[in-house]
Amino acid sequence: MTDEPVPHTDSPHEMLSAVRALTRRVRVAQRGTWFPLLVFATITLVAVPVYRYAPYLDVFGTCRSRPQHTVCMAPNPVELGYQTVALLLAYAAIAAFYVRQSRRRGVGTPIRPYVVVGVALAVLMTAVSIWLTFHPLLPQPADPFSTDPVQIEVGPATWLVNGLASPLAVIGLALLVLAWVERHWALLAYTLAYLVIGMVQGNQVIHSSSPWFFLPDLLVPAAVLLLGAAAFALFRPTAEARA
Amino acid sequence: MADHPANGLDDVVHQRVRLGIMAIAHQARQVEFGFLRTTLQLTAGNLGQHLTVLEKAELIQIEKGYEGKRPRTWVTLTAAGQVALRDEIAHLKQLIQQVEQAETPPTADR
Repeated sequence: MTDEPVPHTDSPHEMLSAVRALTRRVRVAQRGTWFPLLVFATITLVAVPVYRYAPYLDVFGTCRSRPQHTVCMAPNPVELGYQTVALLLAYAAIAAFYVRQSRRRGVGTPIRPYVVVGVALAVLMTAVSIWLTFHPLLPQPADPFSTDPVQIEVGPATWLVNGLASPLAVIGLALLVLAWVERHWALLAYTLAYLVIGMVQGNQVIHSSSPWFFLPDLLVPAAVLLLGAAAFALFRPTAEARA
Repeated sequence: MADHPANGLDDVVHQRVRLGIMAIAHQARQVEFGFLRTTLQLTAGNLGQHLTVLEKAELIQIEKGYEGKRPRTWVTLTAAGQVALRDEIAHLKQLIQQVEQAETPPTADR
């Protein structure tokens, strides 16, 4: 807790100021911003071996085969399965962390709207991703076995829908809700920067035949999340750290 | 003549410590006795007396329990408490507004 005493005055002005000061103190004691960022950085990093080594499971029937040649028109459904389960587990862990912190500090937690929105966005991401598998917004080549390079024009609507179906958007949009429930301007600024980085990165098409071609898509957001977790843990107010 | 905002103040709520308890309980949804005592810098006895006043007025609800072996007392604002806090803050704002208007020198009209 802060050592600053509550003003011992009863004038309307000072009573209102005292109410505002107490509200701010409670908000600071309710915060635990570093933890969600650390959890999301972890699940993003754990996705690296999943993306690289998980076998392709053609559960949506998007693969076409010729002798010694198979082409799949959609990302590995294992990746989507991993992201969905990981996000749901992450929100469960975050809820448990905030409830435990609330008991330890002696103040209730306003975390429910954040967790509800996060879970809803994760479910929506999965639904939209499955829908996009059967109704791709990007034009599909007539011959899936063709090796000719295809020039793809991506319109803003296509880019937006594809972007919203990404874990990065799910994490970022839910963090906006956390910034609101915690009345945390620094988190709001951080989240907007995180979403802008994600948008810029989503606009880049990686032309590579390397099996590690996806690394920038995971390592950049993971690094941003880790840096955010470290910064919010290091620079949290003393009231929050001591509580 | 309009009723003066001071007449709308509730004596139970219009007290520095009790208003503080209600403000904290409103923001925290549920707050523990120890947090209130530390934040408001009160003795346990003094805080207990204010909590009793608020509980008798049905503005807060007190739940006692244990966390492990430690006894814990949790305070929650009731629906009536939410209304009373909102009214108190509205009256305080009106009072401030009236005082500020009274302090503004009237324009010379001669």
